[in-house]
Amino acid sequence: MSEKIKIIYIDDEKINVMLFQINFSVNYEVYTGYSGYEGLNLLEKHSDTKAVISDLSMPEMSGIEFIMEAKKKYPEKKFYILTGFEVTDEIENAIKSGLIQGYFRKPFCMQEIEKEINKLS
Amino acid sequence: MKSLKFEYRITILYTLIGGLWILFSDNILHLLVNNRAKLSDFQTYKGWFYVIITAILLFFFIRRQLNKHRSLEIALQEHQNHLEETVKERTKELELNIKRLKDTQAHLVQTEKMASLGILTAGVAHEINNPLNYIMGSYVGLHRHYEENSFSDHPEQVGKLIEAMKIGVDRSSSIVKGLSQFSRKSDSYDEDCNVHEIVENSLIMMSSQIKCQISIEKDYSNSDMVIKGNVGNLHQVFINILNNAVQAIESVGTIIVKTREKESEVVITIEDTGTGIPKENLKRLTDPFFSTKAPGKGTGLGLSITFNIIKEHKGRLEFESEVGKGTTVRIVLPKINRP
Ligand SMILES: Nc1ncnc2c1ncn2[C@@H]1O[C@H](COP(=O)(O)OP(=O)(O)OP(=O)(O)O)[C@@H](O)[C@H]1O
Ligand SMILES: [Mg+2]
Repeated sequence: MSEKIKIIYIDDEKINVMLFQINFSVNYEVYTGYSGYEGLNLLEKHSDTKAVISDLSMPEMSGIEFIMEAKKKYPEKKFYILTGFEVTDEIENAIKSGLIQGYFRKPFCMQEIEKEINKLS
Repeated sequence: MKSLKFEYRITILYTLIGGLWILFSDNILHLLVNNRAKLSDFQTYKGWFYVIITAILLFFFIRRQLNKHRSLEIALQEHQNHLEETVKERTKELELNIKRLKDTQAHLVQTEKMASLGILTAGVAHEINNPLNYIMGSYVGLHRHYEENSFSDHPEQVGKLIEAMKIGVDRSSSIVKGLSQFSRKSDSYDEDCNVHEIVENSLIMMSSQIKCQISIEKDYSNSDMVIKGNVGNLHQVFINILNNAVQAIESVGTIIVKTREKESEVVITIEDTGTGIPKENLKRLTDPFFSTKAPGKGTGLGLSITFNIIKEHKGRLEFESEVGKGTTVRIVLPKINRP
């Protein structure tokens, strides 16, 4: 059996994090955090992470701010936003500028996200 | 003579005529009548003559004066009648205008509510998508569990999935309940209003507006704080005031929501660390269309409508502010607003 793909998920809502962890752990190696700061720490610890998925609106550091910071250090990694908002200008610009690979809507669609991640292997 | 009043004129005239008559009439009579025996007869005629002449003079004099008064009175009466008519007409017009104004105001309140509802929709949608995400996550996990037996080694995971579904359903239903309470259209000021519930609802609906850098601190009284009022309109009060607080904070800041219960009233204060309000603006805050915001950003109706709603509740709205430090808005509401 090949090694599981490593992914990081960041969301300030505990239940979202717990559910992501349960569901995605079946096929991936999942690391989770509740803020952008935790996300940066996780990236440092697990440098072979392939994909990072983050919520958009979080206190202190928004998802986009976190990804901007992370992208500087890890330009080769793929970043995604998972949000309950419709596409905002901020998200559109982030896609256009190549900051993020794409964005997923809440409520999430398992197949959509898995398909996107499996492209990376 | 002309400037003298009627009663003076007639008295002076009468005295003059009487005096002259007394002075000269006897002399004239002596010149004309030589017969001594007849003199006393003539004296009597002279007396009668005097009385008749003065009576006639008085008659015309008084009549002239009275006529003047009578026509004046008639003119006055006419004028008064006319005035009454005009007043009646104007009152009717005014009443109509007031009614129109009231209709417009009611309409405005509703329109503003709908406008703020429009702004809030984005926030509410996001707020509902979160619990929907729980439910979806729970579904995905349970589905996988029943299809592939994924969690048979970890049965506690299944419990968590089911729990998450319940939380998701509860949350979305409370948001929907909040929304329908806010948009509810009712004229009654006798509804049971749970102040904490209304404040919480308003915060949920504001959540997309409340930027990441704004922290909300709550300091609620332990009591239930249920008052009589209009549920929908009270939502609007808090949303308008919270909205102003959020807009006043340029980047990082805090909003403190405090509730206190007193003997016959409740006090809610909403404090922000925003830009503050200059002294000269404090008096004008609740004026309709008073706004310092860029066109399209504020209509200036928020506080005017808020003030009217609080007035309908027989409450008070007070502001304290310091430029550069922040603003405190105090809302005082009687527990029962109709004695
Ligand atoms: N918390 C606050 N901090 C600073 N200024 C405030 C605050 N609340 C109100 N103001 C001032 O009072 C003005 C009037 O407020 P009001 O809510 O009536 O209208 P608005 O916010 O400009 O427009 P809208 O109709 O969208 O509410 C604002 O433009 C602002 O200058
Ligand atoms: Mg306002």
